Amino acid sequence: MNSAAIRIPSKGSHAGRIQIIATHAFTQLARMKVFYFLAIFGVIAIASNFFDLQQYQGPETVGISALTQIKSWSFGTMHIFSVVLSIVATALLLPKDVEDRTLYTILAKPVPRFDYLAGKLLGVMLLIFVSLALMDALMVLVLQVRTSMVVQEQVQMVTSMGWPQNEIDALRRDTALNGPSWSLQGAVFAVFLRSSIIASLALLISTFSTSTLFTTIVSFMVYFIGHFQADARDAYLQSGPAGEGATARFTELVVSLVLPDFQLFNVIDSVIEGQAMPWLVLVKLTLVALYYALFFTLASWFIFSDKEF
Amino acid sequence: MADTTPAVEIRNLVKDFKTSFRRKPLRAVDDVSIRIMPGEVYGLIGPNGSGKSTTMKALLGLVAPTSGQCAIFGKDSLKVDSRNDVGFLPENPYFYKHLSGTETLRFYGKLCGLKGRALTARVEELLTLVDLTEARDRRIGGYSKGMLQRIGLAQALIQEPRLVILDEPTAGVDPVGSRQIRDLILKLRERGITVFLCSHLLEQVQEVCDRVGIIFQGRMIREGRLEDLISIEDQTEIILRNAGPVLLEQITTLVKTYTGASIVSTGKPRTTLERLFLREISEEKR
Repeated sequence: MNSAAIRIPSKGSHAGRIQIIATHAFTQLARMKVFYFLAIFGVIAIASNFFDLQQYQGPETVGISALTQIKSWSFGTMHIFSVVLSIVATALLLPKDVEDRTLYTILAKPVPRFDYLAGKLLGVMLLIFVSLALMDALMVLVLQVRTSMVVQEQVQMVTSMGWPQNEIDALRRDTALNGPSWSLQGAVFAVFLRSSIIASLALLISTFSTSTLFTTIVSFMVYFIGHFQADARDAYLQSGPAGEGATARFTELVVSLVLPDFQLFNVIDSVIEGQAMPWLVLVKLTLVALYYALFFTLASWFIFSDKEF
Repeated sequence: MADTTPAVEIRNLVKDFKTSFRRKPLRAVDDVSIRIMPGEVYGLIGPNGSGKSTTMKALLGLVAPTSGQCAIFGKDSLKVDSRNDVGFLPENPYFYKHLSGTETLRFYGKLCGLKGRALTARVEELLTLVDLTEARDRRIGGYSKGMLQRIGLAQALIQEPRLVILDEPTAGVDPVGSRQIRDLILKLRERGITVFLCSHLLEQVQEVCDRVGIIFQGRMIREGRLEDLISIEDQTEIILRNAGPVLLEQITTLVKTYTGASIVSTGKPRTTLERLFLREISEEKR
């Protein structure tokens, strides 16, 4: 060892440390062969092409069901992948570090506990983002090819039926709405936002949980409850005297602030059906996701900062 | 001017752990005070469960003291900036198995704010120091116990800390690996780095430490300079080479002429089993 070496200043920014931990968590998960799932997605996206449910009600419906099928299957797979990964990966990272004592060596460095938590969460989110981006690219590719085939088929049919050019152009435009679109990209982003909320929720649970299994089960339960939260809230408020008054309103407010309403993300289903997603809806979803992700991360930090190892 | 700020200052540390409902809390550390000056090698010894690791964790801010204070170079150890100057090797560490030796050191180095050429040079230097240059690109998952301890020591030293805390650094390591780690501790001492180690392997502590503390059931029962603690004040040792029976007889006779003086024992000094093992291994290698 060079005894005359100049002492190295041990400094670093919060952002820098978070980025290092996030990159590391991403690498750790990627080396767990998570991306093998993308091969399954590829098979599903291509297989969905071959399931064309014939619902012939005129030339304008020819092949549309196939396009919906591709989107539906692709989004279904993205949904499962993102939810499972955001819960399992987040639930795994923290207890594993504690069990292996790697957490001791990290926290014994000048690393604030918030940086550690935020880094781990961002690592999982980065992995989900990259995975969804790859799945999205594959879906768009398959959809683009199939849409052009459907349009070609429709145009051939209506030309032989003697449709005027302006109606053919309108049909072409309508069919294109069922193909790749900005709304579809917005829906993929909404899938990412939803999984970000779930990942931050799993992070919160893992800070006080004693096992990965407990974190996973509770996270899934909260996720499912989140789908009925809005209905339950409405039912409670309309249940007569019990749902009236300031206490009921306050309870409802607290529940909605703490428990995410995943029904907000049902807009994705409308996009699969070929409807456009207004920008305002996407902005609203982004703000909602940002709120819950921040709320859960800060709550995680609050618990984790006093945790003893 | 010599630095008078203690590297480690633990004052009246008490740590209670909650047990099951209604039961009395378990007192793991009971009013322990330790002061280690810069450049010292301090050994905390005690049986398993005596509070050694809890004391170290309190010093690193991994557990909060129930009462008392811990400071590293004058900085409260519950504050993050106190860890700028400390490196820690936990007992039986497992690092990220998917990383290689180099990647592991780079990861910890970056966490300490190192980057670029400084980081690369530091990683190289430490891999050489701990003799892991050949295994640098191998995944940590394939490392032996001794190699894990050595890479652990390297990560503890990555930001050139002034204090290194080692929790059972040779636990489960074979005699050769154990010797390598002890040599590394001695090198750190030569460089003026303060070392705080805890172990229940007494011979190891005796070989490297300047001062020791004996902890038992959470309480510090004895502390001081090693030489003072282990020397027997009313006895003197003389080791002779090539002394024949005549000389020995003369010495015995001479001793008898002094009132109060007596020979306690005579015989041939013995090497330790460990030294014998290491000598045989190195001769076999040659």
